[in-house]
Order: sequence, then C-alpha cells, then structure tokens
Amino acid sequence: MTVSFILNGEDVSANARSVDRLSDTLRDAFGLVGTRSDCRCGRCGRCLVLLNGRLVPSCIVPSIGARGKEIITIEGFAQTEEYRDIVEGFWSAGVETCGFCEGPKILAMADLLERSPRPSPGEILAHMSSVPCRCTDPTAILSAVPAIIERRARRIYRRAGQ
Amino acid sequence: MQASEVYFPKDLAEALEFLRRPGMLVFAGGTGILREQGGRGISLPGEVMFLQEIAELRRTSLTERFLEIGAAVTLSELLEVGDSALPPLLAEAARGVGTPAIRNLATLGGNVAARDRFMDCWPALACLDALVELRDRDGTTWMNVNRLVGSDRRPAFPEGGLVTRFRVPLERWDATLLRKVGPSDYPSSDTAVFAFAARAEKGILVEARIAFAGESALRSPSLESTILGRRLPLSAREAAAAAEGYRALASDLPEGLGLQFGVLVDGAFGLLSR
Repeated sequence: MTVSFILNGEDVSANARSVDRLSDTLRDAFGLVGTRSDCRCGRCGRCLVLLNGRLVPSCIVPSIGARGKEIITIEGFAQTEEYRDIVEGFWSAGVETCGFCEGPKILAMADLLERSPRPSPGEILAHMSSVPCRCTDPTAILSAVPAIIERRARRIYRRAGQ
Repeated sequence: MQASEVYFPKDLAEALEFLRRPGMLVFAGGTGILREQGGRGISLPGEVMFLQEIAELRRTSLTERFLEIGAAVTLSELLEVGDSALPPLLAEAARGVGTPAIRNLATLGGNVAARDRFMDCWPALACLDALVELRDRDGTTWMNVNRLVGSDRRPAFPEGGLVTRFRVPLERWDATLLRKVGPSDYPSSDTAVFAFAARAEKGILVEARIAFAGESALRSPSLESTILGRRLPLSAREAAAAAEGYRALASDLPEGLGLQFGVLVDGAFGLLSR
C-alpha cells in the first residue's frame, strides 16, 4: 500500500508492506542512511528518529504505521540551528561519539532539551539511555548540556536583538 | 513473509466491527509485538488493526477521585500527567519500562493486555485497585485489573475484547514501594515487579496491599486483611508474622524470584515498623 507522511518537512509517499520496518523504508526508499537498522528490536537506539516530535526507535515501527505522521531523521535535523547548538556543545565538552551513535545521540539530546529545558544529571543520563552505545564518556555528555543550553540561549538572544 | 491486510479504524465503533474478524491483531504501540522479531521483515498475522487514529483512546482525564487513562496513551504521555496527579506507584512502574524512546511507543493498554506474561504496570495498577474498561460487541464492562488473573495465576485476558480505558482511584498512600527484580532491560522468565501500598488512619493500618507479577501474579486480599487494624508502627514480631504468610504464598515461584519476593516483603513491612 502507499503510505503518505511528512519526512524532514516534505510531503512524501512510499510503497510499504506490513512487513516493512520504518528504518528500512527510510534507508531504502529515501536513502536516509543516517538511520541505521541494526538490532531490529528497539534496543540499540541507532535507528532513532523523531516521530510526531517524539524520539522513537524506527526499527520497531511498521512503515505503514507512519501514515499521516511527521518524521524527522538526523539528515533533516542537521538542517536546523538546534543541531548546530548540540554539535558545538558536544565538541566543546569533548563528547566523542562513534559513527554508529552520533546521529541518535544528537536526536536524543534534542528531544531531551525540547521536553526539559534545564534537565538534571539524572534526567540527562536516563534520557540518553535510549542510545546505549558505550563509546561516549557519560560525564562528557553531562558537561555538554550546559554548553548546549548556553549556545541556544545566546542564539535566541541574538535573534531577538536583530 | 506474507503481507497482512491492515486497517486504520477512525473510532471505537469501527474498531469493534473489525475486532469481530477472527485472528485480528490489535496494534497500538507495537513494542510487545515486535520486541522479539529481529529479522529483516516484521511478521504479523493476516489482518492487523492499527489503533493510532482513534482519538478517544488517547485521552487522559482527571477528576477529584479518579485518573482516567485511554488505553493508547503512551507511557511517556502518562508520565507527563505529572507527579501531582499520577500515583507514585504507577509513575515508577511506567518509568521502569524500557528507555524513553521505547516509552514513547509503548502504551498502557498494551502493557496490561499482554497475553503471555504480566508486564511492569500490572502490579502497580493491581495494588491501586484500578479498573479497566473492556469493550466488545456486547457492550462495555468495567473490571478490576486483579480479575485479569486466571486460577493458575497466569494472565487471563478476556478474548474478543478491546481495552479502552483505565480508571485509577486517587487515594492517599502513606507508604509505597515498587521494585523490579531480575534483568532490568527485558521481560523474561526471571523478571517480575513488586508493588506495595499502605495507608493508616489515626495510627491504625487500614490498607496494606502487595502485588507481585512476572509470568504469574500474586495478590492475596485475604492475607492483606490479616494485618489490617494493627497500630503503627508494627512490632518486629507483627511484621515478621505478616511477611511469613506471604513467603508461604510464594512457595511455588522459581527459587530466585521467591527469595527476592521474600526480601521485598520484609522491606515493605519494614516500612510499617519504623
């Protein structure tokens, strides 16, 4: 069946069967390979996308379930200023990620700051557990958050002043 | 792998019509259905009904006495109800499910309607004496979640019914305890959840409920009633006697779970003896 949804801000349609996972459709039909499809049971977090503004593992979402929804992948999120705030915040705090988890960790951080503008260390660690890849020092993630918040605040302040 | 026929009912009436078809799979969050399907494709039965477009299953409402939660409310949305309205036992149970990303998909209805085992929220809801609304072709039934247990203590979910809503009584609790035992990341034969809630009036214990569930469930109102009416704090002897009754009840649990249950029961009655 044809499934229509909004992908990174554009109306799109894809041919999907009930057996297809959203992560595979994003990769195969749209070439969005920043969404990986590794564990296929929602545990590794490498397939995270924002579905209707919420972080979800797209490997346990059937493609047909995306009908009428809005999906943002790391490729789409990379076009935003929030993405830059997070990446620069990660750099400044020495957050090192591997090729598998960088995109999902950025999306997870974006989702966290959207729901909790000033998260506690407990909230940060709990939220980032959606991407359990052990390549990153959790203390670096903790120290990145104030840097990201500061960058975001400065950007908003600059824009307001223009 | 064969493709299924899929349906997206717009309201409950349409969903109940689809539910008449034999073998129809109800799909809400899908985490319970897909968590063990690691292959390239998803395996679903011949006909699947997605509940995502039924607005009435996603509503939450609050009155003075009850919190009503639509069955397709996700665990993340449930947690967003906030600490002032959400009973701590239920909040803690929801928080213990998977990761935040999984909780954005997993629904309360799916958590309670699992057929093969009791999932994390059941013990909390059982302890709170929550009601579940079931709808089928014959109408609507409200049922205490404790009645979703068969005589063999295994899940006994009524066939052909659709979980549509939960009604959680909002009561004051003076002591609560919720603990997940076993491997934390995945439900398996050696995982279970322990829930305890107690309330006193003028220093007298008036409620003390314990629910424990994994592959099977334990809840004993008769055992609970034996300790009611005692003055708090309980003496060490009273607490030990109460815990002993529960140990006997758990004698047929797997050894590891039985031991952990005993420790948690001691801990729960320990809260009442301080």
